[in-house]
Amino acid sequence: MNRSANVLIVGLLALGGTSVTYWVNRSNAPQIAAEHSSLDSRKLLDVIAADRYDNQPLESRLVLADTSLRHSTLLGGYRATRSGQTVAVLLRSQSEGYTGKLELLIAIDASGKLLGVKSLEQRETPGLGGAIGEWPNAWLEVFTGKSRSEPTDAGWALKKDQGQFDQIAGATITSRAAINAIHDALRYFDEHRAALLENER
Amino acid sequence: MKRPATLTHSLMLVPLLGTTATLSAALGMILMLGVVTGAFAVCMAPLRKRLKGASTLLTCLLLAATLTSCADTLAQRWFLPWHQASAIYTGLIALQCIVLEYTGFFSRPAASRVKDCVVYGGLMVSLGGLREIFGHGTLGRGLSAHWQGLVIFPEGLHLLTLVPGAFVLLGLLLAARQAWTRRNSVIKETHHS
Repeated sequence: MNRSANVLIVGLLALGGTSVTYWVNRSNAPQIAAEHSSLDSRKLLDVIAADRYDNQPLESRLVLADTSLRHSTLLGGYRATRSGQTVAVLLRSQSEGYTGKLELLIAIDASGKLLGVKSLEQRETPGLGGAIGEWPNAWLEVFTGKSRSEPTDAGWALKKDQGQFDQIAGATITSRAAINAIHDALRYFDEHRAALLENER
Repeated sequence: MKRPATLTHSLMLVPLLGTTATLSAALGMILMLGVVTGAFAVCMAPLRKRLKGASTLLTCLLLAATLTSCADTLAQRWFLPWHQASAIYTGLIALQCIVLEYTGFFSRPAASRVKDCVVYGGLMVSLGGLREIFGHGTLGRGLSAHWQGLVIFPEGLHLLTLVPGAFVLLGLLLAARQAWTRRNSVIKETHHS
């Protein structure tokens, strides 16, 4: 009697436990997937403040033409909009760093001013050029607010190259690559402004 | 009696060291531990008398696994950033429940259980807070999406953010406690004599 009651309890618990687990997993799966994608996009998109846009920029990809720039290549772009108006264009740019590819996400607002730069991928020397991979990044913050014409073309370089920017200590090539990539992206934005800002229909 | 208690303690040490890198991580773990262990205690209360021998272990196992996996899923839904950092420790909660059951924790008087829980929770919170202040230089980061936390130091001691650092800090806390109790007992003795 006691034994069969025990077996019954264990059996019921096994059945109940598996079905509850299955149900909880199943009913929460969509929300968990949504959380994952919003966390991913927040990680990628923290170059611009979350309250500036109200769309899902990662789902609003830009079709880019002539992506080979002077010093870098554009891998893709996203559009951040707020009530249908484009507020920022995000360009993924890839250039050649000191030890490998340097991938930057460059955010430019509708007036052509730089909103922020974040490095997505880099293999620079740890402790020197590797500092570009840190986030938040004081060196990359210097570029915020700059645009293609402010400073002038000559100013868009390291102080060592008679420009106006400091470099990351001990990482001239990395710094030069980043500055050139940012300048390229701003120039690209300037030249393709109409196509990039074209609002979604 | 000594051995099982040691087993419980050493198991409790894992979340204590592993999930207290920041205050928010520690609070998340306390919430998970509290909810799962509480639900386990409630569900086991009516079953305990009716079960005997091997089926008790099986029941505990099923119950703890169900509760832990449900809690884990819900944590993913509501506290995904926390879950990504501390997920490997949630599975241990199930084991913790079974060990607590077998060392007779749930049959002890309520007052002593509450006291143990409060002491453990307090230790988690203080370790989490101290590690965040001295390891990251902030306090309360990650508690809310709109608040970046108090910035206390511009830079922290990296060692404290790692598990060995937690071990060192726990050792220091224990040493401080020992020094404190010894000093008090010395004062008492001198008063008596």
